[in-house]
Amino acid sequence: MAATAPVAPAESELDRSGAEDEPRSAEPEEDAGNGQTGPTAGAQQQQHRLAKLPLSRIKALMKADPDVSLASQESVFIIAKATELFVEMIAKDALVYAQQGKRKTLQRKDLDNAIEAIDEFAFLEGTLD
Amino acid sequence: MAERPEDLNLPNAVITRIIKEASTCPLREARRAISQAASVFVLYATSCANNFAMKAKRKTLNAGDVMSAMEEMEFERFLQPLREALEAYKKGQKGKKEASEQKRKDKEKKSSSTDENDKSRDEEEDEHMDDEQEGENEGE
Repeated sequence: MAATAPVAPAESELDRSGAEDEPRSAEPEEDAGNGQTGPTAGAQQQQHRLAKLPLSRIKALMKADPDVSLASQESVFIIAKATELFVEMIAKDALVYAQQGKRKTLQRKDLDNAIEAIDEFAFLEGTLD
Repeated sequence: MAERPEDLNLPNAVITRIIKEASTCPLREARRAISQAASVFVLYATSCANNFAMKAKRKTLNAGDVMSAMEEMEFERFLQPLREALEAYKKGQKGKKEASEQKRKDKEKKSSSTDENDKSRDEEEDEHMDDEQEGENEGE
């Protein structure tokens, strides 16, 4: 890979090769959603500012779906961000049950209660160990 | 991959931090379950988004597909913060691109004079700010 990155539109960043696998396996993990080989320190700062979850891990999860061929960098970022919001939401909802039980820490049963009570979490039923 | 998709867990430290900032300390079992739930969320959201991409006969999943998926999954409350985050992300990407191009130009000019170097950097910064303002308008 050249020292400077190709100026490709963000949406089709991962689309170039048309191959199903990671188009650039030699590339360092795109943690900041940064396809460019910029200074890693700068990229990591960007990462922490905008998305807390590592985009590389999110992308790996997305690719576990056999029907998914390619995903734009932006879509990986948005899913990472949505997942963060999801964790916040479920943590807050579980907290309500912990407080009902006069506790200050979250227990597994608080989570189970939240999942059972809240419609948006219905997709989780039966999926957790 | 021999592992189940659910085995691809997200980093515990990050998950714990998000939970603590949003509510309170999770016990180990609770954190593990939330982490697992987060992985399931990613898989479900991806599958949902991919359906939209396939319906539009596209092979590449894009940000719009994810937004549609959020609506479908009844997480409309996420849409506004996601749109804002996406704008910030796009700006950041653009800024990075310009920054690396600027670095390249600086490197080339270093071989000649340094005065010219400073001048061009100031000019580039002005351009940068104009672009950002334009970006903000577009975001609205």
